[in-house]
Amino acid sequence: MIVCSQLSAGFRFNTGVPSENEHHPHWLRVLAIGRRPKFTLIRIAVLVVTCFVTFKFILLPIRVEGISMLPTYHEHQFNAVNRLAYVRHEPRRGDIVSVRLAGTSIMFMKRIVGLPGETVSIHGGRVYINGQPLAEPYVKLTCHWEHEPIRCGPTQYYVVGDNRSMPFGLHTQGRAERDHIVGKLLL
Amino acid sequence: MKPVFRILLLVIIGTLFAWLWTIFFPSPEKVIQRKISSLAANATLKFGDSNLTRVGKANALVSLFAPDAQIIIVVSGRNGHTISGRDEIREAALAGFTSQPTLNVEFLDVTVRLGADKQTADVSCTAKVNAGDRKDYGVQEMRFQFKKVDGSWLIIRAETVQTLS
Repeated sequence: MIVCSQLSAGFRFNTGVPSENEHHPHWLRVLAIGRRPKFTLIRIAVLVVTCFVTFKFILLPIRVEGISMLPTYHEHQFNAVNRLAYVRHEPRRGDIVSVRLAGTSIMFMKRIVGLPGETVSIHGGRVYINGQPLAEPYVKLTCHWEHEPIRCGPTQYYVVGDNRSMPFGLHTQGRAERDHIVGKLLL
Repeated sequence: MKPVFRILLLVIIGTLFAWLWTIFFPSPEKVIQRKISSLAANATLKFGDSNLTRVGKANALVSLFAPDAQIIIVVSGRNGHTISGRDEIREAALAGFTSQPTLNVEFLDVTVRLGADKQTADVSCTAKVNAGDRKDYGVQEMRFQFKKVDGSWLIIRAETVQTLS
């Protein structure tokens, strides 16, 4: 006990007297690289790798542009596409998915209404699946669209936006190939 | 330290050489990507572009196509339209250039697949077109076919792809 207290006293004496700046780095340096730069570097590396893996392979950040998904999604909203959503199961009716074009820089954001093998038609603005009307509580803006029955192939899903108030010709909708469906919207 | 320094110097020189090699002898994929960029640049019109500039851009655009090139445009819900040969392409380009005050064309997600014979290539990309001073833009999936003609890569076929059929 005595030895310990002596050492402690000596330590206080040796470190306290010369200069406080030698052992207490400037606050700007602490702010920039932390008290332990090595650990800060490791933390930065872990953060960068985590972000890269997350945003490259799991979540794809997107910004909504256009009005075809009103009122569910508004223009300029931010969201993310979960790329792992369909790893364990196939896309389901009612899912809002992103459909890629040549790549993922620009994608269509649509709702799945028709599944592979089903026949989709639109009469008086209402979607029919194999001749049966589809309940769509998410559609608030109605229309009088008409579309001939169209059959989805074994790898095709019929997708359409929630905003049915816009002219049919201006609304991008139709059959999307399964390999073009990137994932499901997160929020 | 000397061997380490020598290895480091060799690595730097090797990297520099490889970089210079790609500059002077670019791969066919790189050449084709530059052609696509050039296509976008020549199809883009600024507000102040004079008629002479527009004609020049139309001619530059046409020079990227082979003499017997075809452009097939199929937009959902409308009948397809085919433009054949350089003369028709020039006419269509000039008509488009004179009707729009500004035009901004970008090709995104460009993927080049070189054919087995190394003389042809397929390119898929997404065209993003903004006409006039409108904020909204149109997007269209596109496919191009390139062929090496007299040592130069030229477009022999350009067609729209219907992402949603």
